[in-house]
Amino acid sequence: MAVFVEVDHVDRVFPLAGGGEYIALKNIDLQIHKGEFVSLVGHSGCGKSTLLNIMAGLDQPSAGGIVLEGRQVTEPGPDRMVVFQNYSLLPWLTVRQNIALAVDEVMQKHPKAVRDRIVEHHIDLVGLKRAADKRPGQLSGGMKQRVAIARALAIRPKLLLLDEPFGALDALTRGGLQERLMQICQEHEVTCVMVTHDVDEALLLSDRIVLMTNGPEAHIGQIVDVPFSRPRERMEVVKHPNYYSLRNEIVYFLNQQKRAKLHKAKPVVAVAANGLEKVNLELGFIPLVDCAPLIVAKEKGLFDAYGLSQVTLNREPSWNAIADGVTSGRLDAAIMVAGMPLGITLGYGNQRPQPMVSALTLSRNGNAITFNRRLYDAGVRSLADFKAAIDRRPDQVHTLAAVHPTSMHNLLLRYWLASGGIDPDRDVSVTVIPPAQMVSNLKAGTIDGYCVGEPWNARAVQEGLGVVMAIDNEIWPGHIEKVLGVTEAWANQYPKTHIALVKALLEACEYCDDRRNREEIAEILARPEYIGADEVLIRQGFLDPYDRGDGREPTQVLNYVQFFTGKANYPDVTEAVWMMTQMARWGITPFPRNWLEVAERVKRADIFGRAARELGLLDIGRDRHSIQLFDGIPFDPDHPLEYLNSLSIKRDLRVEEIVLDPLNV
Amino acid sequence: MTAPLDIRPSRSRLNLHRLGEQFLSWLKGLIPPAIAILVFLVIWQLFTMSPDANLPSPIRTVSETWELIVNPFFNYGGTDKGLFWQILTSLQRVALGFSLAAIVGVALGILVGTSRVMYQALDPIFQVLRTVPPLAWLPISLAAFQQANPSAIFVIFITAIWPIIINTTEGVRQIPQDYNNVARVLQLSKPKYFFKVLFPATVPYIFTGLRIGIGLSWLAIVAAEMLIGGVGIGFFIWDAWNSSRISDIIIAIVYVGLVGLLLDRLIVFASNLVLSEEQQS
Repeated sequence: MAVFVEVDHVDRVFPLAGGGEYIALKNIDLQIHKGEFVSLVGHSGCGKSTLLNIMAGLDQPSAGGIVLEGRQVTEPGPDRMVVFQNYSLLPWLTVRQNIALAVDEVMQKHPKAVRDRIVEHHIDLVGLKRAADKRPGQLSGGMKQRVAIARALAIRPKLLLLDEPFGALDALTRGGLQERLMQICQEHEVTCVMVTHDVDEALLLSDRIVLMTNGPEAHIGQIVDVPFSRPRERMEVVKHPNYYSLRNEIVYFLNQQKRAKLHKAKPVVAVAANGLEKVNLELGFIPLVDCAPLIVAKEKGLFDAYGLSQVTLNREPSWNAIADGVTSGRLDAAIMVAGMPLGITLGYGNQRPQPMVSALTLSRNGNAITFNRRLYDAGVRSLADFKAAIDRRPDQVHTLAAVHPTSMHNLLLRYWLASGGIDPDRDVSVTVIPPAQMVSNLKAGTIDGYCVGEPWNARAVQEGLGVVMAIDNEIWPGHIEKVLGVTEAWANQYPKTHIALVKALLEACEYCDDRRNREEIAEILARPEYIGADEVLIRQGFLDPYDRGDGREPTQVLNYVQFFTGKANYPDVTEAVWMMTQMARWGITPFPRNWLEVAERVKRADIFGRAARELGLLDIGRDRHSIQLFDGIPFDPDHPLEYLNSLSIKRDLRVEEIVLDPLNV
Repeated sequence: MTAPLDIRPSRSRLNLHRLGEQFLSWLKGLIPPAIAILVFLVIWQLFTMSPDANLPSPIRTVSETWELIVNPFFNYGGTDKGLFWQILTSLQRVALGFSLAAIVGVALGILVGTSRVMYQALDPIFQVLRTVPPLAWLPISLAAFQQANPSAIFVIFITAIWPIIINTTEGVRQIPQDYNNVARVLQLSKPKYFFKVLFPATVPYIFTGLRIGIGLSWLAIVAAEMLIGGVGIGFFIWDAWNSSRISDIIIAIVYVGLVGLLLDRLIVFASNLVLSEEQQS
């Protein structure tokens, strides 16, 4: 689709009375397609209205520019009509006169009769026939906003700009108007940009939601794609499996911005002590069984033992929050899904690539694929059954969920489906939902299955909602699962701290894999500040025989989750290359032409090696090896492109050179 | 749209019962000021009861000026005219001077308000001139016009014009940015902008200026007439003082006050006719 409006690296700087300057907007870059509805969301004072005014031409950018259909915007014009926050109707004119003022001026080349018809049509469109001869002072707020919308639509703008259009209205009126606006925009294919505070409103109306960071120097923090199909109904949107995870993501972003504001007030200084550059570390984790090493290191005092005396563990709501926390510097380090450091380095999800480092693998295995019990009862017992069920009812779209695009859950689930001849994007739909929301979504029927770590499979089995279709041990025994992730900049800034952190966690991993300790660890994990789940669920697979929920006797699974044994912790370059092929296979990231450079920059075997030597743990490094999953297709790390080409189910491949050290011009 | 149309009921619905009630409450509202006036009169009477008082008591005032009160329309030629004619002459001067001031003031105000350069150039001058007391203009205008009547009118003009200019200027400068933004987005032509946006938005400020202006002109006319002589309520007071008719002065003052109030109400009434509901303060 061609770009309709381009916001090209816009800066806006206001001179201050005292002589200095205030940088309101910094490097805003955004492309909007024809017919798209984009929302700008952010805290007050983040410059979203300024951006809207710049797009309208009412304000001029200090640098950069706005291009509408190939032409630069320099002044306001009726092709970019604005619906202002406070309606901006002229109080001395009636409803009809207000609309006619706009129509008569903009559509001068049409005869008077045509213009009058347009005015009447738009009064009808917003249902104000009875109030056409009233003045704005005699109308309610909702009616005034309807007049403003009618006035804006009547002159057929190419781009409709809405500045918190429903902000001042009561909930009922707001709901009605939102639906009305949605309908009109859809019918007339109006391209819209809306500034709003209301997350639900943004989700209902938008195709994309642009989240702005706080000023000064506000910029685009994140762009959320809203995948709901159109035409939309409010209730259908709310029931969509992704609704709450998207909502959480946005709310989380906003809260994060609020916290960042407070953060800025008292900047965190690195506390150097014990011969380390920084001992006050903020570490992020997601409540899952395989976060055990982090929690053990904290509870058993291993951080302190290596000089990290002020470690705080932060329980995060989603993997996106982890990625965002580490790249933004809020978190020093975090436990990450295996592909995340690579994904961020390659710039997954159209984000700016940022070099990451992972010097330690924290866990292997520990996931399972759970299907809704309904499917099992309908005879779906294996992948082949699932394929047959899909072929039988092609009209029925099954939705499966994984926890993050770059996670092994996503990559393995897709691999597993593709090995059974099921295209994960065409035959089913694979969506992203945070781990803790999987069971509730399964229960609500918005998803048909998922791939996730424990205790979320055990939970579905225990509640009788789902049946475990496959354990990842059966797909790829001993696969990389969770890793330690930091930014490369952080690793370079605090090298000694980094090694201390790796040492503490490596020792914790060893502790976790000693069966004698697992009773104690299960008890610690069950505590409300960590996973906060029933200990029985945590013990599933971790200690106890694993119940798949298919009526068979629970069986003991060897190495259901693995933290140390089998040279588990080595940052394995071969696995990194495999993950990059899979992420490229599904279009999550481009495949780097310099794949070996990327893999070795991220997987820092040197840091791991030094930490291991200092701990006296010898011979836990891995050699180059080839990988073979359950289907027997070999993966040779020296020829990843040939491997990719040999796969039949895949997306269009992008092969790009990933520049890790951008030249400073 | 399914939301109900909650249009306010129009205000001009005739309702006899409601009118009666309104009249009653209006009457009730008159009681406190009536009492206040009564108390004032009693105090005045008490202070001026003694035979050697310098000022007449209210009762004496009324009895001495009974002729003036009951017969405001007499005309014995020269300056010996009834109070009605005196006030009418003053009002004519005010009407002429004030109308000129309104026309010139609004035009100048809009000019200064719309142009930043003009504002920077002229506003300081206005600020200085508006503080000049009305009577200070009189010698200059007498020198310029050589005649009493045009001089008096000029004094009215120059007194009333400043608040009109300043308020109009302010009105133009205070046009809500939103209205200007609408005009800019729609790319309204200059004349359309003037008649549909600028002027209507400025009207409330213009009326504020007019109201202050009319009050000032009525203040000025009395003072000016005292100096220039001829028929007029100002000279009537001066003449009464020269002939020691203190009671006449008092009754003239009451008339001056009442007429001033009426003029003020007149402007308010006119502004209510012109302004739409939400523009009224």
